[in-house]
Amino acid sequence: MNSIVSALPGKITSLFGKLDSPYLNGGQQLAVKYFSVATVLFFAQLLFGLLAAIQFVAPGFLFGWLDFSVNRMIHINAMVVWLLYGFIGSVYWFLEEESGTEIAGLKLGNIAFYVLTGAVTIVVLVFLLIQTGPGKDTTIWFINEGREYIEAPRWADFGIVAVMLVFFYNVAGTFAKGRWSGISGVLTLDLIALAGLYCAGMFYLTNITADQYWWWWVIHLWVEATWEVLVGCIMAWSLMHLIGARRKIVQTWLYIEVALMFGSGILGLGHHYFWIGTPDYWFSIGGFFSALEPIPLVAMVVHSVYDAGVHQFKSRNHPALAWIIAHTFGNFLGAGVWGFMHTLPQINLYTHGTQWSASHGHLAFFGAYATINIAFFYMAVQKWRGNVWMGGELPGNGWKWKWAMALLNVGVLGMTVALLIAGYEQSFIERAMEGSTWSAYFSAQNHPWFQQAMHWRLLFGLITIAGLVLLIWDLVTIGKGETRPALQLLEAE
Amino acid sequence: MIEPVALKDFFITFFSAALVILGGAGYAGLYAWAKLRGNPRLLLWAYACYAVLAGATFLLARATHLNGQWQILVGLMLTGYLLAPLGIWKLCVASHGN
Amino acid sequence: MSQTTPAWASEARWKKIAIWVTAGSFVLLIFLTFDTLSKVSVGGERVRAYSVINQEIDYRYDEQKKRYQPVIGKGAPLFGRVFSEEEAEKLVTLGKKTVQAKNCMNCHTLLGNGAYYAPDLTKAWLDPGWIDAANRENLMLAFLKDPVSNARSFGSGRRMPNLGITDEEAHGIVAFLKWMSAIDTNGFPNNFKTLNAKE
Repeated sequence: MNSIVSALPGKITSLFGKLDSPYLNGGQQLAVKYFSVATVLFFAQLLFGLLAAIQFVAPGFLFGWLDFSVNRMIHINAMVVWLLYGFIGSVYWFLEEESGTEIAGLKLGNIAFYVLTGAVTIVVLVFLLIQTGPGKDTTIWFINEGREYIEAPRWADFGIVAVMLVFFYNVAGTFAKGRWSGISGVLTLDLIALAGLYCAGMFYLTNITADQYWWWWVIHLWVEATWEVLVGCIMAWSLMHLIGARRKIVQTWLYIEVALMFGSGILGLGHHYFWIGTPDYWFSIGGFFSALEPIPLVAMVVHSVYDAGVHQFKSRNHPALAWIIAHTFGNFLGAGVWGFMHTLPQINLYTHGTQWSASHGHLAFFGAYATINIAFFYMAVQKWRGNVWMGGELPGNGWKWKWAMALLNVGVLGMTVALLIAGYEQSFIERAMEGSTWSAYFSAQNHPWFQQAMHWRLLFGLITIAGLVLLIWDLVTIGKGETRPALQLLEAE
Repeated sequence: MIEPVALKDFFITFFSAALVILGGAGYAGLYAWAKLRGNPRLLLWAYACYAVLAGATFLLARATHLNGQWQILVGLMLTGYLLAPLGIWKLCVASHGN
Repeated sequence: MSQTTPAWASEARWKKIAIWVTAGSFVLLIFLTFDTLSKVSVGGERVRAYSVINQEIDYRYDEQKKRYQPVIGKGAPLFGRVFSEEEAEKLVTLGKKTVQAKNCMNCHTLLGNGAYYAPDLTKAWLDPGWIDAANRENLMLAFLKDPVSNARSFGSGRRMPNLGITDEEAHGIVAFLKWMSAIDTNGFPNNFKTLNAKE
C-alpha cells in the first residue's frame, strides 16, 4: 500500500509527461496539461448537469445518494474551474511568444499545476463522499462553504490564492524579464483584479445581506468584468496569430473593449442588488448600467463587419475560427438578448430566482466562455501536432469538428429555450398570479409547460453531451498523420 | 420607487426587450455593411432596424412605467444608440489607419 | 501607415480612456459600497437586529412605495422564550452556518439566489403553508430533523433528503429563517401573502 502511494506522484507526472510534444515551448507544454484537465472537468460539468436534469424529471433518481444539491454544485463548480483552467492554459500558451523570453518560473508553474489539480480532486471527492457537515466553522473550512459557485472549502480558497500568486508571478515576471506590450499590461492588471476579487468571497458573515453583497463582488465582477477582459486579451493574441491581425489595431481595440466593458460592467453589478436587502437606489444604478451593457456588443458587431469586409481573411485553422464566430453569436444572444430581457427591476421582480436565470446562464456561459476555450484548444492541438494544416479539405471533410460544433450549439440553445419556457411559466404563475408562496412555487413546478420543458431540457442535454464526446474524439485525432504544413500568414507587427 | 410590470404586459416586456437588442444589432451591423459597400439601400434597411429598436423601446418604457424624468433618459439612450454605430465605424476606419 | 491614425483613435488615447473609466467606476463602486454597508448593518431599518426573533413579523402594502414592507409587531417569543441580543445572535449564527454547511443553496434560493429545485427561503417563516402560527415552529423543527418522513412536496415528488440536522441546529435554522423574513427586500418576492394575511 505504502509503496503504491509513494509511487503515485511519479506515475501521475509521467502520465502528464506523455502529453509533451517536441513542437512546443515550456509554457506551451504546461498549457497542454491545463487543457487536458480542463477537458476532463468539462465532461464532469456535463455529466453532473445530466444527473441534475434527470432529477427534475424523476425526483427519486439517486435520492439520498447523490442528491440534486450535490450534482448541481459539482455541475457549476466544474464549469467555473474548467473555464479557469482553459484561461490559465491559454495565457501560459502565449506567454513566451508574447514576452520574447522563457518563462520566469516554469518549474514553479508545474508544481502549482499539480498542487491545484490535487486540490481540485480532493475538493470534488469531499463534495461527493462527505457532502455536508455540522453547522460549524470546521465544515466551512474543510467540507463545503455552502455559497453558490464558491462552495470550495476555505482551505482550498487559500490554495487557490497561492496558486494564483504563482501564476501571477510567472506572468508578470516573464513580461518584466522579456518585453511588455499592450496585451501583457492589460493582462497583468486584470490578473491582480481577478485574484483580489476572490478574497471578497473568503470570509464568513451572519448578516446574509452583507454576505450576498460581497458574494456578488466575486461572482459578477469575475464573470461580467475581469473574465471578459481576460478573454479579450486571449482573443487579441489569437486574432494576431490566427488571421494575422496587426498588433497596433488589436491593442487599440483591446483598450476600447476594456473601457466599454468596465465602464458598463463594474456598476452593472447593481442589477444583483435589487432584492437582497440593499437600498433601492440600486434600482436606478443597476437598471441604467444594464442598459449600457449592450454597447460593447454594438462595438463588436460593427467591428466584425468592418474586419470581415476590409480584410480578406485567410484562416490557418478553420475549426478555431468557426468557434470564435460561434463565440460572437453566443455572447450576443446569451449575454445580450437573454440578459436584457429580464434585467430591468420592473420585470426582474418576477424573474429573479426562477428558471429564467438558468436559461440565461446556460447560453451566456457557453457563448461567452466555453466557445473561446474550445477555439483555443484547436489552436493548441494544431501546434502540438507540429503546426500542421487545419484549413479546408481535412480528411472526411472535417465531419467530426463540424458535427461536434453543431451538436454542442444545438444542444445548448435547445436547453436555453426549454428553460426559457419554464422560466416564463414560473414567473407568470408562481410570482405574478399566485403570490410567491410555497404552494405557488409548486403549482408552477407541476404545470405541464414546466414539466414538458424539463423533458426537452434533458433531451437537449443529451445532445450536448454527444457533442462533447465527439469534440474530445476530434481533439485527440485531428491532424494525426497530416503532412501538409499550416498556412503561413504575414507575421503580426 | 418602481412600479412592477403588470401581468398583461409580461409578454410585451420580454418581447420588446429582445427586440431592442436585436434591432440594435441589426442597425449596427447593417449600418456598417452599408458603409462598407457604399450602398444606400442597405442604409435604409439599417434605419428600418433602428425604427424597430425605437418602437420596441417605446413599448418597453411604457410597460415598465418609465414616466417623468425617466423619459428624458430613455430619449438620451435612444440618441446614444443611434449615434454609437456611427462613432464606432469612424473609430474602425481611423484606428485601422486606412 | 500608422502615422495616419488621428489622436482620438490612437492606442495611447484609448489606453488613457480605459484607465480613467475603470478607475472612475471602481471609485464610485467603493463609495456606494460604504454607503450600502452602513445601511444594511444589523439593527437598522433594512436588516433588523437579531432580537427581532422575539417579535411578530408581518408585511403590509405601502401605497407610496408600491410594494409590501415589513412590519414588526408585538412580542411573539420563539420556542416559548425571549432571547437577549447576544443569545439571538448566537442562535441565528448557528442557523446561518448550518444553512451553509448543509448546502441548502444548491436546491433552494435565499433572497432569490441559489438553485431552483426547491422553494425560496427568504420568507419561509411567513409562508401560509404552515397554516397555523401557533404550531409553525414545531412543524418546522420536525421537518428539518426528519424531512423524509415529514415530506412536504406539494405533489411534485421532490423531497428534501435527511441531512443529519440536529435538534440544536434545527432551532438555529428556524431562528435564522425568522430573522431573514424581516429583511426589507424591496418587495421581493412579488405580492407575497403572509401566513397572517390569510387569517
